[in-house]
Amino acid sequence: MDLLINLFDGFGYLAGWEPIVAMTVGVVLGILVGAMPGLSPSMGVALLVPFTYKMAPQIALILLVSIYIASNYGGSITAVTINTPGTPSAVVTAFDGYPLTLQGKAGIGLGVSLVSSTVGGIIGTIILIFFSVPLASLAVKLHPAEYFALAIFGLTTVASLGGKNWPKAFIAALLGLLINTIGLDPISGVKRFTFGTYRLFDGFALIPALIGLFALSEVFMRLEEFKLEKEMIGADIKKTIWPSIRDYWKLKFTILKTSILGTLIGIFPGAGATIATFIAYDFTKRGSKDPDSFGKGNPEGVAAAEASNSSSVGGALVPLLALGIPGSATTAVLVGALMIHDLNPGPLLFTERPDIVYSLFAACLVANGIMLVLGLMGSRLWIKVTDIPKKVLFPSILAISIIGSFAVNYSFFDVAVCIAFGVAGWLLKKYDYPVAPIVLGMVLGNLAETNFRRAVIMGGYPVFFLRPASVILLLVSALSLVYPFYQSYRNKKKANTSVK
Amino acid sequence: METFKYFGEGTGLYVMASILTLLFVVIAIIISRSSKKEFFWRLIIPVFLIEASLGFLMVSLGLPVKGDEVGPSVVPNLWITGIILLSVLIIARTLLGFEDKDPRWGRIGIVGAFLAFTIFYLYMIIYIGYYAATFLYLSISIYSLSYRNLKVIAGLTFGWILVSYFGFYRLLYVPLPKGMLIERIFG
Repeated sequence: MDLLINLFDGFGYLAGWEPIVAMTVGVVLGILVGAMPGLSPSMGVALLVPFTYKMAPQIALILLVSIYIASNYGGSITAVTINTPGTPSAVVTAFDGYPLTLQGKAGIGLGVSLVSSTVGGIIGTIILIFFSVPLASLAVKLHPAEYFALAIFGLTTVASLGGKNWPKAFIAALLGLLINTIGLDPISGVKRFTFGTYRLFDGFALIPALIGLFALSEVFMRLEEFKLEKEMIGADIKKTIWPSIRDYWKLKFTILKTSILGTLIGIFPGAGATIATFIAYDFTKRGSKDPDSFGKGNPEGVAAAEASNSSSVGGALVPLLALGIPGSATTAVLVGALMIHDLNPGPLLFTERPDIVYSLFAACLVANGIMLVLGLMGSRLWIKVTDIPKKVLFPSILAISIIGSFAVNYSFFDVAVCIAFGVAGWLLKKYDYPVAPIVLGMVLGNLAETNFRRAVIMGGYPVFFLRPASVILLLVSALSLVYPFYQSYRNKKKANTSVK
Repeated sequence: METFKYFGEGTGLYVMASILTLLFVVIAIIISRSSKKEFFWRLIIPVFLIEASLGFLMVSLGLPVKGDEVGPSVVPNLWITGIILLSVLIIARTLLGFEDKDPRWGRIGIVGAFLAFTIFYLYMIIYIGYYAATFLYLSISIYSLSYRNLKVIAGLTFGWILVSYFGFYRLLYVPLPKGMLIERIFG
């Protein structure tokens, strides 16, 4: 009952003009960020964080979450029309979306992707509300040992999903954790790795590091590749046919099933939207009466990909809000945004600032509705974003990154940090080291360290193996460390068998 | 303990950094002249990570510990150990042929030029102020990427300056530097 009352309060907060403007602007920016190949949701949110410094925390979060929600849909627009997914998670949308465009049915692809995204986003948010509230009340009772195990679990899951490059993903996570130890020790106040520089007493500011790792590294990468030409639209979308209500109704079970699947996958740290779309697409294809039509322009493929993609946002917000553990790159950026507004994500947020949590829940639902309206109104307009020349876009991103980093502490040191992280991120990405685990390590480092030390002070080193939840989480973490070994051994064995 | 503390800052830090840099250069030369030179970057990155971790380890061993409490060095050392072990694993995987050859460098000159120009831009901000420096930075960098629509360049540059002025300076109260030269001339 409390939940419903709080949720009504959340909706009440949205009645003002500021939240409505924030959501609308967020949705428009999100669609543009998603539709623009080269801009990812995490990059878009990171670049927009500096604009929210002086906003009320609710408004800032509503704006950023709206960008996150809409950017996942935005990626599908270019995937359907020009076979260039605007975001990594829209790759699967292009499998059936682009063949539809080639058949002169771009409207079907765009319409199905919009409606599936909206329904998926709403289902994901509903699951978020009903999952995170009890999870947060459970999390308040966690022992520091369990919290440490949870942080390690989050990091190892993220890193173990690095596929073939899993050692590099683990190193990236450890690097983030190590970077986080720079500055004054959170328990004893001793200076650590400051190398005599007072500027490092507080460690590296998170926002400049995030902007460098997500935005600048991508710009340097694109400049090095020098692919700055504009993408061409595969067919004339003005003369296309659009789906009817009956067409959408036929897809109801696909959208419902893949939305639930997408949310559940999104909850697991590191799994994220891309994995959710691949699994949901495969799941739908296997269950279909006509699996051969997939990849040739089946609207069910578009619906599965987009519903799971959007619903994974709700899933990814569950560990962030309930446990304070970001499960994806974009949610890690949101942690940074929460921190600059003096808010600590985690279970205490539900008791200390329920207004923020519930207005965010309500905003997630309303933003999906706004996305549907704006998506329907501007489907021909959004595609125009690909007309923005990259030769103009990339220097502009550099300029935004610099002012954004400067605005954190009004310091050129932060700008230098941003550029240094950008160069490091570019080099690391070039040699297959993912940058998202670095950010997750930086975000989770403090949580992991303080809880580790508190737990040891309270019960000595064996404490981690005396509490069942901690043992289970550490075991699962260990398994996710061992799993890539087993997987590569199995693949090798399979390859040998097929050669024989 | 005191020996390790010596490496934490001041002369000791320079000594340690010099030794590690020298070692890094030697290893880089060895790799570049070996049969594994096509894996140069795949090998040199974990080597760098090991050396950097060793540097951090030396500093962390000098951190104060009282009795048998969990001191400030315990957790960093845990992460350092992980980085060193995994870096060794990556080096071994590369040497055993489990890694691909280094990808070819693209237009590295352009990235270098952009980086250098960005650093120059930061100096320009200090001397001629944020607005003038940004005008020059944006217009020159867009033009140098062979974009020739001057109207768009001018519109975007002025547009961004207006956004920075109203959005950051007036609304967010970010004290964007006015520039030493400008302040000297106009007070």
